[in-house]
Amino acid sequence: MLACLCTVLWHLPAVPALNRTGDLGPGPSIQKTYDLTRYLEHQLRSLAGTYLNYLGPPFNEPDFNPPRLGAETLPRATVDLEVWRSLNDKLRLTQNYEAYSHLLCYLRGLNRQAATAELRRSLAHFCTSLQGLLGSIAGVMAALGYPLPQPLPGTEPTWTPGPAHSDFLQKMDDFWLLKELQTWLWRSAKDFNRLKKKMQPPAAAVTVHLGAHGF
Amino acid sequence: MALSEVFQTTFFLTLLSLRTYQSEVLAEHLPLTPVSLNVSSNSAHQSLHLQWTVQNLLYHQELKMVFQIQISRIETSNVIWVGNYSTTVKWNQVLHWSWESELPLECATHFVRIKSAVDDARFHEPNFWSNWSSWEEVNVQDSLGQDILFVFPKDKLVEEGANVTICYVSRNIQNNVSCYWEGKQIYGEQLDPHVSVFHLSSVPFIRKTGADVYCEVSQGSVSKGIKGIVLFVSKVLEEPKDFSCETQDFKTLHCTWDPGVDTALGWSKQPSQSYTLFESFSGEKKLCTHKNWCNWQITQDSQETYNLTLIAENYLRKRSVNILFNLTHRVYPMNPFSVNFENVNATNAKMTWKVHSMKKDFTYLCQIELYGEGKMMQYNVSIKVNGEYFLSELEPATEYMAQVRCADASHFRKWSQWSGQNFTTLEAAPSEAPDVWRNVNSEPGSHIVTLFWKPLSKWHAKGKILFYNVVVENLDKLSRPELHSVPAPAKITKLTLDQRSYRIWVTASNSVGTSPASVIVISADPENQEVEEERIADTEGGFSLSWKPQPGDVVGYVVDWCDHPQYTLCDLQWKNVGPNATSTVISTDAFRPGVRYNFRIYGLSTKRIACLLEKKTGYSQELAPSDNPHVLVDKLTSHSFTLSWKYYSTESQPGFIQGYHVYLKSKARQCHPRFEKAILSDGSECCKYKIDNPEEKALIVDNLKPKSFYEFFVTPFTSAGEGPNATFTKVTTPDEHSSMLIYILLPMFFCFLLIMIVCYLKSQWIKETCYPDIPDPYKSSILSLIKFKEKPHLTIMNVSDCIPDAIEVVSKPEGTKIQFRKSLTETELTKPNYLYLLPTEKNYSGPGPFICFENLTYNQAASDSGSCGHVPVPLKLPPSQLGLMISPENVQKALEKNYMNSLGEISAGETSLNYVSQLALPMSGDKDSLPTNPVEPPHCSEYKRQMAVPLCLASPSPTENTSLSSITLLNPGEHYH
Repeated sequence: MLACLCTVLWHLPAVPALNRTGDLGPGPSIQKTYDLTRYLEHQLRSLAGTYLNYLGPPFNEPDFNPPRLGAETLPRATVDLEVWRSLNDKLRLTQNYEAYSHLLCYLRGLNRQAATAELRRSLAHFCTSLQGLLGSIAGVMAALGYPLPQPLPGTEPTWTPGPAHSDFLQKMDDFWLLKELQTWLWRSAKDFNRLKKKMQPPAAAVTVHLGAHGF
Repeated sequence: MALSEVFQTTFFLTLLSLRTYQSEVLAEHLPLTPVSLNVSSNSAHQSLHLQWTVQNLLYHQELKMVFQIQISRIETSNVIWVGNYSTTVKWNQVLHWSWESELPLECATHFVRIKSAVDDARFHEPNFWSNWSSWEEVNVQDSLGQDILFVFPKDKLVEEGANVTICYVSRNIQNNVSCYWEGKQIYGEQLDPHVSVFHLSSVPFIRKTGADVYCEVSQGSVSKGIKGIVLFVSKVLEEPKDFSCETQDFKTLHCTWDPGVDTALGWSKQPSQSYTLFESFSGEKKLCTHKNWCNWQITQDSQETYNLTLIAENYLRKRSVNILFNLTHRVYPMNPFSVNFENVNATNAKMTWKVHSMKKDFTYLCQIELYGEGKMMQYNVSIKVNGEYFLSELEPATEYMAQVRCADASHFRKWSQWSGQNFTTLEAAPSEAPDVWRNVNSEPGSHIVTLFWKPLSKWHAKGKILFYNVVVENLDKLSRPELHSVPAPAKITKLTLDQRSYRIWVTASNSVGTSPASVIVISADPENQEVEEERIADTEGGFSLSWKPQPGDVVGYVVDWCDHPQYTLCDLQWKNVGPNATSTVISTDAFRPGVRYNFRIYGLSTKRIACLLEKKTGYSQELAPSDNPHVLVDKLTSHSFTLSWKYYSTESQPGFIQGYHVYLKSKARQCHPRFEKAILSDGSECCKYKIDNPEEKALIVDNLKPKSFYEFFVTPFTSAGEGPNATFTKVTTPDEHSSMLIYILLPMFFCFLLIMIVCYLKSQWIKETCYPDIPDPYKSSILSLIKFKEKPHLTIMNVSDCIPDAIEVVSKPEGTKIQFRKSLTETELTKPNYLYLLPTEKNYSGPGPFICFENLTYNQAASDSGSCGHVPVPLKLPPSQLGLMISPENVQKALEKNYMNSLGEISAGETSLNYVSQLALPMSGDKDSLPTNPVEPPHCSEYKRQMAVPLCLASPSPTENTSLSSITLLNPGEHYH
């Protein structure tokens, strides 16, 4: 996993957009965010396998796909395609930012109750990476001039281990947390790729622009 | 007054008896009924909690009562449990009792009722049960909520092996519910249309995060939801094993145990089992923070006996072990420290150490172990605080390791850990003379003495040997002894001594002193090598050697041999044997199979002179010969041939050669006499002849058939077998008649040779008889005179200068004898060839008529120059030779010398046909210019006829070079080149 991150970071300077000097606009940070999203997707595949095995059957069964009962507080990544396309960049980025803020909090709760040290290490590593993604999204939003969403008082997600929540439901929540995280990362990768393409100035326009300067 | 006291007493007694009677009557006649029965449920523990009071109890009355409780499920008539509960009941007391249900309470409605009876010994009357209380209903389902499915019990914690009952409550009976346990569907029994029950028996431990039981609600094929529980199965808490406590300082008790399996479960369902120490005499308790050890502080010096209980506990079980001990019997001392050695010399040392202070009057028993020289010595000593021990009988120059451990001398329980240190004793002088042997090689005028000695053992060296001293003393001549100092670790030195007697002392020295000397005497007489060598065989344990005792006084015998006789450095070994012994066994791991070992046995006289007594040779194990002899076949006749292998070395074989096997194959089925039939390894048959003498290295194979094919193979054999397999050599006997032909042809050849010799010796006579000489007119002196006058400047005619244009037939005498020159192929092409027909008169010295053919036609250089081949080239001779050739005499001489042999004799007068060149002959009388003038290459001329010309026309022209031709005498076939 570390090797993968190193590879991604090594190739980051190779991205042409990132090698530009001066005011480069949001392009480099979007690319960086996209790369980090893809890396987190890869990292999550390994982590989810380990964690679901830790939970045991039926959660580690490949065809286990329960209807979503409980876990209502998790931000849903699934959204209608038309609705999704109709969203503007600001709204999309805001949704991403809010979703990962929530997911990160739940993930930290997951880390606290993990029984094995190895699992705790993996979860902590993933949390750190996810924290980095949040920072990247914030950077993109800042570059595009969008304000960061402010959490409403009282809506701060908290992880509450409680007897009120049955252990089975807790396991189910963990299952859904990982599933939502996977879907969100997939969706974010699409979002950032779309944004990246959108932010790339067309080559012809650059030429005309330079020509105008020449005259 | 007294009357009043009596009255009062009587009144009280009456009152008391009345009271007692009243209570008895009440107990007997007023039913003590349980009332106010209240039943509550605890879902987490799956238990019903009952509380009630007993009616009709008197104030402060205590009665032993028994309560019978009935529990029904679903309906009152379905009693699932009946049991009694006995207790002492007080007035106005609220009684509590719990019952745990194996079925989750949410799965069914439960009903409880109770009745009671007095069970007190003070009542002799038979007990009467009260009436049953009314049924109390417990229905938890109503409080579940509106979900479509519920699974119970929620997240239950059980021990491994427990039986668990699980149920689900489905709100809609139309829904299809499937339940799974660890991924496998389970099937249960239906309690009612909404409730089903599953029994899991003897559940195993699966994982710390619990095993999931879940049920899926579906309508048709549409899943409506999943509900489940986590069944946490804990491992059974084990009793701590090997619980023991000990002290090292009388301040702390260190208790240890083996905790067994960890019963911790994930999700904080159950932590690891806890351990608690409890001491019953003091009543103190301590919760241990480690799972396998705990320290108990000793606070009271006076307490000697301890009763410690270790309690292991988890949510499901409690286990404990107990030990009772006297503190003084549980002492495990700390390691000794400051181990040192004082006054270390070659054989002694004093060892000192310290121990930690304990209680007053505490005595340690200490054990010392001394390791050195592969041995271990053990000593015990009792000490208080500081320990010391005198180590004696040590070996000099030896490294020792000494270690010490201690225990309680009064109540031995356990040794402490070892504390140790190394030390080395000092050196001492070597105690024994080195074992010396010698090898003497006699050379003319000197003895080359090689001295060998074995390194002193560590036992005798008593230190590091630095060098060996070799002192050589001449016994025949008074002279100062010579000292040779050989640095260790050399084991050999070579001395060149003259042929006198010498005494040699060898000593070994270390840093402290010198060993006793080993003496050996080299006799002036050469060593007796004429001792017959005897063959010996190896026995199981080695070579067993025996010898005849040496006459006279001997101080011992020495047997020497080489461990590796096949190498130049053969590693000489020797063994000293006592003077009374006449045999010994030489045994060493160095002996290898197939190697010949030579043993020499010497007797050592009292003068320390070694005398060679016997020689033995043998193999530790004989092997089959490693190679076969190279066999030569000679004296091949039609009936016999001889096989010989005289160069085959029998000494270098890996066994004593006992003889040879000669295998012979032939087409004949019968073997020859002396041969016997044998089967080869490939299964083929052949004849075999055995030669028992290893030195007999030839065999005549006779009685063979002429012109027959035979194959033979010779292989030596030892006691271990024959030599390697090899191919047979083929021999074919010659035809019988061919020899007869030789007998006829040889005499004929000799006869012919004889005739030829006779002919040669009588050739002059034969010539004169058969072919008398014909007189040669040209050799007539008259003719010479005439010609001399006509042509005073007779020169050598160059035939090439002749241009034949006509043929003139002069005469054709019979008996013309012309000897042709050598063929062109026989001539030397690199030089111009001159052919001269010279006068026969040997004494002719002046210019005279003769014919000279200069053959320039076949000049290699000319042909190479691009001309067409008939190009005469200038005569190129070395100047010296050229100068000689200028004068006619010299020319003639040279020509005679060089060419006469090839030409033979030819007479000008005998020429019957003269060929005349058709070209004009440039005439020149300048004989000097002929061989020296260069000749220009002609133009291309394919062919020039060559003709014989009369001598009168044969006049060379050295200046004419434009058209040259040659005159030669040609064979019919020699026209073209």
